[in-house]
Amino acid sequence: MSGNSEVDNGNHASNNKGISLPMTRVKLIMKSSPDVSSINQEALLLTTKATELFVQYLAVSSFVNGSGKTKNTLSYSDLAHTAEQTETFQFLTDILPKKILVRDYLKSLEENPPEETDN
Amino acid sequence: MASSSGNDDDLTIPRAAINKMIKETLPNVRVANDARELVVNCCTEFIHLISSEANEICNKSEKKTISPEHVINALESLGFASYITEVKDVLQECKTVALKRRKASSRLENLGIPEEELLRQQQELFAKARQQQAELAQQEWLQMQQAAQQAQLAAASASAGQQAGSSQDEDDEDDM
Repeated sequence: MSGNSEVDNGNHASNNKGISLPMTRVKLIMKSSPDVSSINQEALLLTTKATELFVQYLAVSSFVNGSGKTKNTLSYSDLAHTAEQTETFQFLTDILPKKILVRDYLKSLEENPPEETDN
Repeated sequence: MASSSGNDDDLTIPRAAINKMIKETLPNVRVANDARELVVNCCTEFIHLISSEANEICNKSEKKTISPEHVINALESLGFASYITEVKDVLQECKTVALKRRKASSRLENLGIPEEELLRQQQELFAKARQQQAELAQQEWLQMQQAAQQAQLAAASASAGQQAGSSQDEDDEDDM
């Protein structure tokens, strides 16, 4: 079964069945990964849908486990917290610096002055 | 909207799409702006994660193109096996829709008339059209001729009147 002819390209699927994310953009992002050459159209569809599920899951579990639940809000730290706590979200820690208050940072600098290193 | 800076790392899912998803998933929840931005970036990370893993699996399989199977295996090995059923469902739906659409269009094309018959009918129609055109042209030609005759007659009688003094009895009858 040839994959390319069966699945709608680009935005077609986005308009149809339960896909909100633009597949063309997802494809661009995928291709910007090192070494990734060609992607079958169906594989692209699967990846797009998986990304959607990821967003939903991230949002919901951050909200449910977060401190904003009582106030009906979702904050940055809710997300960061969930990412830290969830095994499968470990890959996010690189882009998720936990935000700290400047004064806390300055305080920690006082207590532990960093060595002079070339970064 | 491609990034104009040309830097691949700036590629992200459009903010609007993410906002919409968040709204549908958490209706009535106020979401901080920086949290939204974070979700956008997490998306990109996730896509890279899946692509890299799927790509590795693909390379091992000695195929050149990342297939659905590779993606599914990637999801599994990265701990997202719970997504597999749902993503497969969406794929199936899309295929079904595409299949229905193709069937519908081919049904329309083939109303049970064999191609030769259709060709023959087409030729008939063309011939008929040509004939009508010819008849029309002929009529117009006839009309033009008659009009020309009239004009000549009128011109002739005018000049005949001028020559009334002469003894020309001959009426200039117009020949065709």
